[in-house]
Amino acid sequence: MPLDQPISRRAFLRQGALLSAATLGGSLLPDLLFQRDAEGAIMGIGQELRDVLNEETVDRILVEALLRGGNFADVYAEQRFRTNIILDDGKIDSVTYGYPRGAGVRVVWRTQTGYAFSDEISYGALLDAARVASSIVKDQSPVAPIDLTARRPSPAYSLTLPVALMAETRKFDLVRRMDQAARSVDPRIVSVRVEYVDEVKDVLIGTSDGGYYIDRQYLLSVACTPTAVQGSERRSGLGTLGGRVGEDYLTRVNAEEVARKAARMAITLLTAGPAPAGAMPVVIGPGWGGVLIHESLGHASEGDGIRRGTSLLAGKLGATVASPLVRVVDDGRWPGGRGSGTIDDEGTPTQRTILVEGGGLTSYLLDKQSALLLSMRPTGNGRRMSYRERPLPRMTNTYIDRGRDDPASLFSGITKGFYAAEMGGGSVDTTSGNFNFSVREGYWIENGKITRPVRSAVLIGSSIETMQRIEGVGTDLAVEQTRGTCGKDGQMVPVGVGQPTIRFSSITVGGTAL
Amino acid sequence: MPALSPREIMDRVRALAERSGAAQAETYLEVVRFTEVRVRQREVELVRQSAIQGLGLRVFRDRRMGFMYTTDVRPQVLDEIVNRTIALAGEASPRDENKISEETAPAVLDLEIHDDSVLRMRPEDLTVLARSAEENAFAQDNRVHQTLDARCGVQSNEVYFSSTYIPYQTYRASACWLSVTAIASEGNQNRTGTFTDMKRIFADLETPERLGRKAASRAVARLGAAGVPSAKVPVIFDAEAAGDFLRGLFSAFSGAQVVEQRSFLAGKQGTQIASPLLTIVDDALTRRGLGSRPFDGEGVQSRRNVVVERGVLKRFLHTTVSARRMGVGPTGNAVRSYDSLPTAGPTNFYVDRGPDKLSKLIETVPRGLLVTDLAGFGIDVVSGEFSQQVEGTWIEGGKLTKPVEGVTVGGKLQDMLMGIDGVASDLDFRSNVSSPSIRFRELTIGGA
Repeated sequence: MPLDQPISRRAFLRQGALLSAATLGGSLLPDLLFQRDAEGAIMGIGQELRDVLNEETVDRILVEALLRGGNFADVYAEQRFRTNIILDDGKIDSVTYGYPRGAGVRVVWRTQTGYAFSDEISYGALLDAARVASSIVKDQSPVAPIDLTARRPSPAYSLTLPVALMAETRKFDLVRRMDQAARSVDPRIVSVRVEYVDEVKDVLIGTSDGGYYIDRQYLLSVACTPTAVQGSERRSGLGTLGGRVGEDYLTRVNAEEVARKAARMAITLLTAGPAPAGAMPVVIGPGWGGVLIHESLGHASEGDGIRRGTSLLAGKLGATVASPLVRVVDDGRWPGGRGSGTIDDEGTPTQRTILVEGGGLTSYLLDKQSALLLSMRPTGNGRRMSYRERPLPRMTNTYIDRGRDDPASLFSGITKGFYAAEMGGGSVDTTSGNFNFSVREGYWIENGKITRPVRSAVLIGSSIETMQRIEGVGTDLAVEQTRGTCGKDGQMVPVGVGQPTIRFSSITVGGTAL
Repeated sequence: MPALSPREIMDRVRALAERSGAAQAETYLEVVRFTEVRVRQREVELVRQSAIQGLGLRVFRDRRMGFMYTTDVRPQVLDEIVNRTIALAGEASPRDENKISEETAPAVLDLEIHDDSVLRMRPEDLTVLARSAEENAFAQDNRVHQTLDARCGVQSNEVYFSSTYIPYQTYRASACWLSVTAIASEGNQNRTGTFTDMKRIFADLETPERLGRKAASRAVARLGAAGVPSAKVPVIFDAEAAGDFLRGLFSAFSGAQVVEQRSFLAGKQGTQIASPLLTIVDDALTRRGLGSRPFDGEGVQSRRNVVVERGVLKRFLHTTVSARRMGVGPTGNAVRSYDSLPTAGPTNFYVDRGPDKLSKLIETVPRGLLVTDLAGFGIDVVSGEFSQQVEGTWIEGGKLTKPVEGVTVGGKLQDMLMGIDGVASDLDFRSNVSSPSIRFRELTIGGA
């Protein structure tokens, strides 16, 4: 049994403590030195996990997992270092440092899954987990896993200096600058909340088909929420930054402008009138408007609903599911994308999958289990929230591809309609196809022009019907990578969504003005 | 390696924090054991089982707060974490309200919130119930021959708390759940219906017979649903929908939101914000309540708080910091896990029952909508706007007529609450946030 010594983690933690102490004391040590040291301290990617879970021990755990039979088994271990800074009321309200780690063992036999996990990453704990997980299989013979070999798929992206490894003073500085920028826009901005989260996640995956993978994933999310008050009216705006990005990203984006824009949104909405109610022509703006495709067809194309036959897209490969103008892509390798990674959480290399071409359904999004049951190949979409959960087929970065229309031309000819400039969240019932997504910032379209702002409202539709009502697709594709967390069966995972400006002949708007 | 007990872990961490410069420290440790089984089409589809242990440490120094959490509780790791957290706290801004609750150890209450039998449940036991729920869904109607799944699970939590003022306290709480989502099919149409029950005590769970049948009935009731034209009409939320609505409304009552002007109820304490028919209570002391516990996430003693009394907003609900910022006493609403900072959350948060049966609320509606399902997100507590996708049944001449979907319901929360003209008696606690059916005098339906 291998020794379980937490040397590099302790070094990292100690480094962090030193780092904070030094900045407090006004040390003149250059930032670069800190960065190199911090990176050095956790240099061996996944080293801590590998100390316990080398090829040999993982192999032994997999043997145990398949002792009663099964189609396949895997071991997934992770450790995360997470920093969270919350600014509210002009003050750094809280700073949180999180260090969750653990590992799980999964056994799959046809439609059946056994999953057990432990917070303790040790050979003994995972052998126990393997025994629990294997209990799902009844009356089968043992299966021998293939000996593990380290595999290194080509990286989806590379970062020179991930934001998570920046000196902490720079993170605090970023948060304060956004707060001040938002406040400077208008005296009616009465409160600003900025939430900063970064994460370094090391994962180790061993699969019974012989794969042994180590990966490191970085993620940054910053959200700025200014609130404006005038009389009894209150409105919030939202501005976000982030993705799987490096320090260079922060020099390219203007964080202050993101905060000011969020503040201007809140101010604009103070004078917003009621949103219209009922079916009408709708234009949805680029970028985060991709929530639409995520809800309308994205979830329904996920392999679990397909193999069970409960999704409305089950058995519909080749069928028309959208207007001929529509091409839909799920790209797990979009540079810096929230949903991007070199491998998925089952070790399958990620890929770019065309879901819809010319309005016809061309592919599903598959994890290993759904691929097995459908006799197809996994598409690198097996994702999980953490070591506590089993993987499910999930989207990565999903978007409607660019079209041929000048975005400005998409408004012409609409006498009375609705323009959704900024979206909130949404949800879908993949069996009925009924879906919804909320609009944060919307406007009337009157006689081909964007006119008055309106209050928040929900837009609803039925998956295929709504996608067939697409009349125009702009050239201005944007894939939003600064926000986007998708929830399914209680598991939250980061995703990207996108689209160009798109026009629909009719969508039902849930306002109050008749 | 000898494992430390929860108490040893907390004592070690807190003592070290206080020695290393923290004026005050608070530890929160949680041990969770759970098992869940899911059955679909008579086969076990998932067995998930494990035990989780995690520790959160909050330190206060010079009116600054730092927080750290970990699932790695080996002694040498804990020592590093304490140092790190204290250093982090130095980066935060000072705030006068930043100190832990000075309440002393609360009285020990027996709320009957732990069922020891859940620790003995094996996956096989849960499978029997899940299978039975699914079978009963199939038996209810021949248009139901599939489910999304049937789930049965049990969980037992141990919470350990200690702070500079409260040396050590602990409680155990269990939860059990049974749920089935039936699919009804007719022609090309497939519609789902879910029924879920959750309880503290296993024996209190709804029987799989009734649960399976209710889920099937809900799915079947949706077959043939269609849109209706846009209109302004009376709308009733049934108990399920009203409970979801109330959950969405909760953060409007959160002190931290109110103090930062992020609630449409800010500044309205003591005023009439709703119809006199509406009373909302948050009661952490309900016997066997899903939200009951002897103390909150900051060690503050649990209590019963009337939030809205006959339409008058009596109080907001707080964490220690938000209560201090608003200059009021604690309410015991700090909700947290080991890996999160305390925020104000509901305990047993409910609309008090009214005098009438749901059928009576329906009878007096000439033309309107009974909403049975709210989908997605609908409530904006900052602006006070409500707009949500709904499903339900159309009411014509006081009678339920046809199933409705593909419509939205919208209004201003302030007008909606003032316009409540009926509260039914059908309050049933299947979640920690619950409501009887509620009738709104007039809402806007967005339809075809």
